[in-house]
Amino acid sequence: MMMDELDILKKDWKKNENSYTQITEKEIYGMLHKKSSSIVKWILVISILEIAFWSVLGFFTADDNYLKTLEQYHLRDVMPIITTLNYAVILFFIYLFYKNYKTINTTDTVKQLMHTILKTRKTVQNYVWYNLIMTFFSMVLVVVFQLKYDRNIEKVFKNMSTTMDSNLFYLMVTFFYIIVILVVIGFIWLFYRLIYGILMKRLNNNYKELKKIDL
Amino acid sequence: MSEASEEQFVKLLQENQNIVHKICRLYTHDQDSHNDLFQEITIQLWKAYPNFRGDSKFTTWAYRVGLNTAITLYRKKKKTINTIEFDNTFHKVKQEDYNFEEEEQIKLLYSAIGELNDIEKALVFLYLEEKDYSEISETLGITEVNARVKMNRLKGKLKKILNP
Repeated sequence: MMMDELDILKKDWKKNENSYTQITEKEIYGMLHKKSSSIVKWILVISILEIAFWSVLGFFTADDNYLKTLEQYHLRDVMPIITTLNYAVILFFIYLFYKNYKTINTTDTVKQLMHTILKTRKTVQNYVWYNLIMTFFSMVLVVVFQLKYDRNIEKVFKNMSTTMDSNLFYLMVTFFYIIVILVVIGFIWLFYRLIYGILMKRLNNNYKELKKIDL
Repeated sequence: MSEASEEQFVKLLQENQNIVHKICRLYTHDQDSHNDLFQEITIQLWKAYPNFRGDSKFTTWAYRVGLNTAITLYRKKKKTINTIEFDNTFHKVKQEDYNFEEEEQIKLLYSAIGELNDIEKALVFLYLEEKDYSEISETLGITEVNARVKMNRLKGKLKKILNP
């Protein structure tokens, strides 16, 4: 009895064999490259973790000592403004990453997917550039004000100028600071290169494959 | 992964996509979830593709991976999926073959199948695909005896659902 009913179903099953809306090869490629969306998601997550990390670090290092130092350097009014601005810009970048992630998730066509990948790449590049330039400027700012106002350094300078040619001494100090700044910037660059570089490479590979399909 | 294999995969899948559509038909109740499952199976097939050695047929392999995907997804969503009403308008029969009694019966059968569990659905699917027990056992990774036992139980269960 039951067999008969399953057989009725089988008949219907066979009849509908070719009734399914066929998906094109292009659409299949599109589905395979949805993995781009998980990469873009990681970019978003990492950028949030990054800002969280710096916020926590900033929270724990902003003690009285830090404030006193800022005061001494005559940066007490300026630094909070710079910090706030910096956070605003970074939050804006996170918003952009989020927007890219949303778009890539709702993208259906290969062309649009490619477009979003390019946009994401651009956003990441801008983000890294912003961070490098920001670090450079805040370091230069701190160094300049330190040289100008730090009492300890003042003492050292006074001592040194009695034993050494002052021009040579200034040259050495400048050279030293340039090296320090370059090393720090280099480290940050390496850090971004490591984290985002891997994701970007995968994203680029996806892009290249998509390009082959979409002629 | 070489590019040739991606092209090859897309081609194979495109040609054999009805397998995936049919799995989706048994495991989902509306067009949206059909499309979602289709995409999920496509991604899983692609991930598993490096392990496809070509010593079994692409279709046999696709049955296995596709059903496994449907079963895992089904397990994840078990609680929500039972509450979704079976959308009969989606599985429509061609107009010229319209036969009210049979049509009603088919609808009932599909909704009865909707109440089966994931493994039972897989069995129904393979039965409808006219697979013999050796193929069923290979695809689902159970013994032939076990497949027969499960099939008999399933028929009993269907009967109970249809004639409460």
